[in-house]
Amino acid sequence: MIATFPYWGNYTIAFRVLLENLGITVILPEKTNSRTIEQGVKFSPELFCFPFKVNVGNYLPALEKGANTIFMWENIRGSCRLRYYWIVQQKILREAGYKVKVLNLNSKNFFSEIKKIKNENKISLWQCLKAFLLAFKIIKLIEELEKKANFLRPREICPGQTDKILSQCFERLSKIKIKKFQEISSFQKQTLWKFSQIKIDKKLNPPKVGLVGEIYLISDSSLNFDLEKKLGQQGIEIHREMNLSHHIKKTAFPWIDWFLQRKIMPYLCSTVGGHGRDAIKEMLDCVKNDFDGVIQLLPFGCLPEVTVRPILTKIHQESGLPFLSLSLDEQVAEAGINTRLEAFVDVVKNHYENKKH
Amino acid sequence: MTIGIPRGLFYWKNPYFWETFFEILGYQVLVSPLTNKEIIEKGVKAADPETCFSNKVFWGHLLWLSDRADYIFVPLLKTNEQGLEYCPKFFGLPDLAKILIKTPILTGTFDRRKEKIEKTLEKLGRKLKKDKKTIDKAIKTAILKEQELKEKAGQDFFRKIQSKKPKIVLISHPYNLYDEHLNLRMKEKLTKLEAEPLFIDEVPLAETQISKGVKFGNPEFHWEFGKEIMRQIQEILKYDITGAIEISSFQCGCDAVLKEFVEKEFKDRKIPFLYLLIDEHTADVGIQTRLEAFIDTL
Repeated sequence: MIATFPYWGNYTIAFRVLLENLGITVILPEKTNSRTIEQGVKFSPELFCFPFKVNVGNYLPALEKGANTIFMWENIRGSCRLRYYWIVQQKILREAGYKVKVLNLNSKNFFSEIKKIKNENKISLWQCLKAFLLAFKIIKLIEELEKKANFLRPREICPGQTDKILSQCFERLSKIKIKKFQEISSFQKQTLWKFSQIKIDKKLNPPKVGLVGEIYLISDSSLNFDLEKKLGQQGIEIHREMNLSHHIKKTAFPWIDWFLQRKIMPYLCSTVGGHGRDAIKEMLDCVKNDFDGVIQLLPFGCLPEVTVRPILTKIHQESGLPFLSLSLDEQVAEAGINTRLEAFVDVVKNHYENKKH
Repeated sequence: MTIGIPRGLFYWKNPYFWETFFEILGYQVLVSPLTNKEIIEKGVKAADPETCFSNKVFWGHLLWLSDRADYIFVPLLKTNEQGLEYCPKFFGLPDLAKILIKTPILTGTFDRRKEKIEKTLEKLGRKLKKDKKTIDKAIKTAILKEQELKEKAGQDFFRKIQSKKPKIVLISHPYNLYDEHLNLRMKEKLTKLEAEPLFIDEVPLAETQISKGVKFGNPEFHWEFGKEIMRQIQEILKYDITGAIEISSFQCGCDAVLKEFVEKEFKDRKIPFLYLLIDEHTADVGIQTRLEAFIDTL
């Protein structure tokens, strides 16, 4: 089995470590760029979600290098189209002439599939468990670094320093082979030390903007045109609650949804699939914590996010919190996004100034 | 007191059912008229630009009713009797309707995985302060009416299938199929071109088949329409079919998935397949030309 998997921002590192430690030969999917998107769009159904097309584009170079299995998550509990990604991807790739199997992992078959892989590759139960723990630790580490960078960017004294260190760290992390917990903790120590060397203006209290929306887009900087970096460098602190570890937690402990539903009851009394409800809750939190703006990122035509958008607009009208909704697809150009972001930054800064007086 | 029912989306899932139910409860029922240009314009203006076209039309119907009815009925349809989900856009309908208009919205959650439809209807009747006897009567009549309609559709189907003309299957959601404006008057057009249109929704399914849940190598759809359409296609392929047309509204997320498998079924059997995408800009003339060309290929 030579495997590949969907590219997903910095999380790709964690997925690679997981599969390698399970004894699988991995060919990394190509990083998302305009060429892979173009290729993906060519093969995909026209009206499918944007992330689907991106995934297909990322697989293709890996498949040409010899990968024959794709790992894909099947979301059997939700109402969103992610449930059918694997079967449609398998269909269109096979029709295009690739001999490929898309392995669908879901919360029902997860343990049996992992057991199969474990027996095939003759690894012990401890090694298997260790692979998952290592991957989860790396996911946590990645999120910690991203969060720290979001905090440091608007406060740094030499502009661009944080991003330089951050990209160096991720580059190093993606190169080293991780087999032991010590390797992660020593890497973590070094990186945090590097971050502590960044000189910041401690008294500054920059305007805060919440980032809500579809999980894949908001956590992959190659897809959202480095949104966090751009806003951070213009002196805005980005807060993002939605990330992979939060999603894993929600999958493992379904009752979290019950508390979520209670919070958003006046606005929406049912799930709408995906992370629709989370977007509402996060925006309400932003209002409560006295933020200066909210940005919603969604793939064009995303079922849950489009459904909740009128509700987010209503919250925006009630509270007066600046709100920007950006829907991205293969036709969106970076220049257009930049213009809209610039205008939004002005609105946010105005809101921030008015609050002071 | 008047209860308004928008003639869109959920209405076509059980036509006449809600009307009968509320009439017997003793209310005046006002169903919005058949879709026209004005309704579409209203809906397109009010709705989110990225939502599907059928949804936009629904908002148009709702706005038409907003100053004509005292209450507007928008149920939250979640799962059907087999535990299969409706389109996720249905889940948000009542809450989004509350944002859009000021008329009070009458709603109930129809989740048949959790409780039977009779119980939900009873709760709805209690909310309107009706006694149990009237509610029971209303439920019974409404269900009977629905069964009657289904039987009639089935008989129609067997009459049509006997016809000597080239038979063309129209595949879509009921809210696109039965709405004369949304289905582009396809029935009329096809009859003029000397073909026999068959609605996929009319294909009767045997009861035993429903309970078994047969697999056909396609994904087991968790959407009720997905599973039903795939099964009905299997059923209709047993007969001699000349061509198939799928009508899909622009930005319908579910159809993007469904189309892949519907198209495959017909392509595998070398039956001509036409895919039509409708939105607020669809022109009648363009569709006519494409239809004529399609009929010529048969």
